[in-house]
Amino acid sequence: MTMTSKRNTPIFTNGIVAEHVLLKNGYYKTVFIAPQVAQTAKPGQFVMLSKWNIKELFLKRPFSFYEIEPETGRFSLLYKKVGKGTAVLSESKPGEQVELIGPLGNGFILPEKVKNIAVVARGIGVAPLLPLIRKVKSENRGIYSFLSASSKELLFANELVEAVSLNTYYTTDDGSKGLPGNVTMFLEDLLREDPEAIDVVYTCGSKRLARHIGELQQRYHFQAYISLEERMGCGIGACKGCVVETSHGYQRVCKEGPVFRLEEVVLNA
Amino acid sequence: MPEKFDLKIKLGSLSLKNPVMPASGTFDIRDTILNKSQLNRLGAVVTKSISLEKRTGNPGPRIWETECGMLNAVGIPSKGWEEFQEKELPLLKEANDTIIVSMVGRTEEDFCHLAGKLDEIDAISALEINLSCPNLNDGLHFGINKKIMAELIYHIKQNTQKTVIAKLSPNVSDITEMAQAAEQAGADIITIANTLVGMAIDIEQQKPRLGNKVGGLSGPAIRPIVVRMVWETSKVVKIPIIGVGGITCTEDALEILLAGASAVQIGAANFSNPLIMLDIINGIGDYLARKKCSSLRDIIGVV
Repeated sequence: MTMTSKRNTPIFTNGIVAEHVLLKNGYYKTVFIAPQVAQTAKPGQFVMLSKWNIKELFLKRPFSFYEIEPETGRFSLLYKKVGKGTAVLSESKPGEQVELIGPLGNGFILPEKVKNIAVVARGIGVAPLLPLIRKVKSENRGIYSFLSASSKELLFANELVEAVSLNTYYTTDDGSKGLPGNVTMFLEDLLREDPEAIDVVYTCGSKRLARHIGELQQRYHFQAYISLEERMGCGIGACKGCVVETSHGYQRVCKEGPVFRLEEVVLNA
Repeated sequence: MPEKFDLKIKLGSLSLKNPVMPASGTFDIRDTILNKSQLNRLGAVVTKSISLEKRTGNPGPRIWETECGMLNAVGIPSKGWEEFQEKELPLLKEANDTIIVSMVGRTEEDFCHLAGKLDEIDAISALEINLSCPNLNDGLHFGINKKIMAELIYHIKQNTQKTVIAKLSPNVSDITEMAQAAEQAGADIITIANTLVGMAIDIEQQKPRLGNKVGGLSGPAIRPIVVRMVWETSKVVKIPIIGVGGITCTEDALEILLAGASAVQIGAANFSNPLIMLDIINGIGDYLARKKCSSLRDIIGVV
């Protein structure tokens, strides 16, 4: 049986920049006021955003929700300045207007019977997982968090994650926090001790880690979901531009995703 | 909502309530955020290209943004004729009175067979032939060989009573020759033009940006080319022209109408602004008022 989360209706609307923070060199958090979007957004969904005229940059950019605050009508995005779109966004000032389409895509599925989940994220890949773990925490279920980055400086939201997790494990490539190596080794240790410790694993940010989770899944039979990103044209499914290869053919990241069952995604090296 | 001005236009036997419609491939009735009344305001709805059999499309990446536009190599994925008829057609019927079905095939037989099936569906107003698709026989696009294109159009016409629109490829040395050949072969309307073939390269990876290596360029970057092609072609053919390429606002649409197109299609601009077609319908009405024109005919091809 394929479980899909109930889709909310996306709208085309304006948002206002409420806050803009330089977190670390090249990494930003921007908070937007857009009540109609914030009130219906679900963990794992995304928004298409432009802060430019169509003749300056042609397409909107997709961003997963980082924080969702329905009560204040706000949401935030966590992003790295990598290209022209994020360069414009990185110079945001409070009060500025943006154009939005959202909320879009299928969010994370959280099966009812689940007791404990694990989240495995690399670097900024933690962004779409934060609303999920806050939801899981609010429902009094347990969270084990596994965070990885090239260095301590590139771990994001780890204090927020630690605050709601039963335990948080770290690896960094340079050993500046936790151990070097793959953070999934901690997941493996946990499962070896108690194969039922975790019911569902959610991951984002590294196909290498996702492949390790896939290998563990073969042995321990947990459910696993991955949030993917891809260059998008429209974000609503119309352009068929953002496909990923799956066990049942090409699927659109914007429409069938961005969250997929891990085992159905073809994870090329 | 009644339009401020009567924007009705006839393209031969095809009557439109206004000259604005989506370009094939940029609009999907199953994936639109337009509501029923917004869909009904469009001059027509135009489907993604459908094929007889299922087509998977190209491997990713399928799109790459360029300066003033984008490249796409989506590769015309299609769920096939049966799914179109069962799932898409009922939604199209609810959306708009004028349904234009874009069709694609690997061989002339594919096209003709599909045209015959579509001919039996009353709700369909016109068939638009996507000529920018590789021909199974020689791998070249149907739209770049005058003789192959003309034969295809001629044979499709034998299989349908419906209005046939030939969507020309701009990747030719003389668009007017292709347009005249399409007209002589029996096309009722021509669409100018499909995307221009382009390419982008990742200089770090030293690889093409698109999975298919090359793709179709669309967006404002190509609009001057389309304006020129519409203008040149309108001088040499009698059949109406639908202009498409890089329209992002009312002014862009007017430019193409003034150049000689009787209607326009809005393509990739729909991605960034899903309401742009409605804005352009309003904008054309405002322009006619400002220019004291009583009908759209007063501005078509006046340049």
